[in-house]
Amino acid sequence: MATTSSQSSTPVIAVDHASSRARRNQRARKLFIYTTLTIFGLFFAFPLFWTVSSSLQTWQELRSYTPHLLPEVPQWSNYADVFRLVPFARWVLNSFTIVFITIPGTIFTATMTAYAFARFNFFGKNIWFILLLSTMMIPAIVTFIPQYLLFFNLKLIDTYVPLTIGAWLGGGAFMIFLLRQFIMSIPRDLDEAATIDGAGPFRILWSVLVPLMKPALTTVAILQFLTDWNDFFGPFIYLNTMTRYTAAVGLRTFQNMALETTDPRDHLLMAGAAIMTIPVLVLFAVAQRYFVSGVVLSGLKV
Amino acid sequence: MTGATSVVKARTGRRTFASQRRQNLYGYLFMLPWLLGFFGLFIGPGLYSFYLSFTKYDVLSPPEFIGFRNYVNMVTNDDLFWPSLGRTAYYTLLSVPLSVIGSMFLAILLNSKLRGVTIYRTLFFMPSLVPLVASVLLFKWLLNSDFGIVNQGLRGIGVERPPGWFSDSQWAIPSLVLLRLWGAIGGTQMIIFLAGLQGVPTELYDAAAIDGANAWQSTRHVTIPMLTPTIFFNTVLGIIGAMQTFAAAFVATEGGPGFATWFFALHIWKQAFDYFNMGYGAALAWVLAILIVILTLIQIRLSKRLVFYYGE
Repeated sequence: MATTSSQSSTPVIAVDHASSRARRNQRARKLFIYTTLTIFGLFFAFPLFWTVSSSLQTWQELRSYTPHLLPEVPQWSNYADVFRLVPFARWVLNSFTIVFITIPGTIFTATMTAYAFARFNFFGKNIWFILLLSTMMIPAIVTFIPQYLLFFNLKLIDTYVPLTIGAWLGGGAFMIFLLRQFIMSIPRDLDEAATIDGAGPFRILWSVLVPLMKPALTTVAILQFLTDWNDFFGPFIYLNTMTRYTAAVGLRTFQNMALETTDPRDHLLMAGAAIMTIPVLVLFAVAQRYFVSGVVLSGLKV
Repeated sequence: MTGATSVVKARTGRRTFASQRRQNLYGYLFMLPWLLGFFGLFIGPGLYSFYLSFTKYDVLSPPEFIGFRNYVNMVTNDDLFWPSLGRTAYYTLLSVPLSVIGSMFLAILLNSKLRGVTIYRTLFFMPSLVPLVASVLLFKWLLNSDFGIVNQGLRGIGVERPPGWFSDSQWAIPSLVLLRLWGAIGGTQMIIFLAGLQGVPTELYDAAAIDGANAWQSTRHVTIPMLTPTIFFNTVLGIIGAMQTFAAAFVATEGGPGFATWFFALHIWKQAFDYFNMGYGAALAWVLAILIVILTLIQIRLSKRLVFYYGE
């Protein structure tokens, strides 16, 4: 081609200097972009790689003077040790329990609220909508202390009620907002056609809108999963009994709790970190596009 | 068909008293769960916490009204009030600009539509999937001062005394910032920038190219101005989040070493949930909330001058 390369067997008839410079620039730009992306890629990937690699080494290997990037012999038994030394399976199960309670809660109640805001012209709607959005801006810490006292007086400390009730009471402003945006994008003609067929509001929501809302509802379910799976402060404050801990609180406890062995446990902590991350990665692998669609669905006009 | 639609039109066009009552009935019925939550978990607790902030309350005996004493005490008597505020500010000032700039930079590179960029996008996104507690433990291990791979590497290339990271009071906050950057740069923030980049009209780039702009110039004079609304949005959210940082600092260092990462949220937690000074804790929480609201309002005010909205 018309590059400056001399090995090119194609005879170059006329080299347009401007275009060859442009092409060189183009190539320099490509090189710059790929190099930068790769450097950042390494920065992002290495810690992930190191988690897995560390989790498969012995602690002696990890503390040697010449660290090994890869385990000499993969110590799969480390993973078994995690489950043996601490109730990690229980903790992971508890996290799943919470998620299984909150996801249907948010799906039901956020959809209902979103439906109210998207389709009904009730008295005071605009004020309620502003109040809804304002709950997103007030930091959660302000309501945390009184909420704790409330659940304390209701004798609900060390249960999952404080951690899950919010999902059954609207599921949070962001989820409602996201679903409202989605419902508003569905033509009202469909509702009206169903009305003619004799469907009431419940029937319209359930038979007309919900089937169309599947992508948005999937996004909401994933966001709820990520929120609860990650949450540390809530379970840390509300749960006291070790067997009721979530994976997040359990993993933190594993860091410095007394075990039957006093050996360094970095390799086991990395195994625990990997175990806790696997469900998220699996979810990401099967539903990748819904992880980013929250941004698109909220219609974030930024 | 046409007859049916016109019937509907006639019916909806006439806003009768009965139909408005129906709208009210169903509107409120469907948002009932949220309304209960709004009053029970938000407004009620919010007001109660405001009241508590003027009391002394240790949970065992009933709240005792003490006026503004909590608020006066925090600025005059609390040795950790100003330092915790300062450390929170330091962490915020370091982490938010770096992560917003980093996300924007990567989004611009990824937007170049070169082959294979989707692989990079997925790779950058992965760290944000790692649960926070897991990533904290990971970074504590990576940055372990004696056996961490980072310091082993630094020693390997001849750095005799690499930083103590989380165990050094000077380095503890920068270590948390590093952890945050790893988890945040490629996550939602970058996705929001990518969405923002989709909204930049291509004719602007064509116009810039006709004017002879090179890649850097069109980035500087087209892309970045067009992204200012996105920068603004991410900065506001970033600051709100950073000011409330609890879990990372608590899991990594429990506020140490020597209170070096004693952020404001840790101070609130310690007072309220460890010492059971619920009144004082509520007052601290209100101070943080008000600071966050003021900072957000200032940013909105500044945005009127600094943010460029295309087509306005």
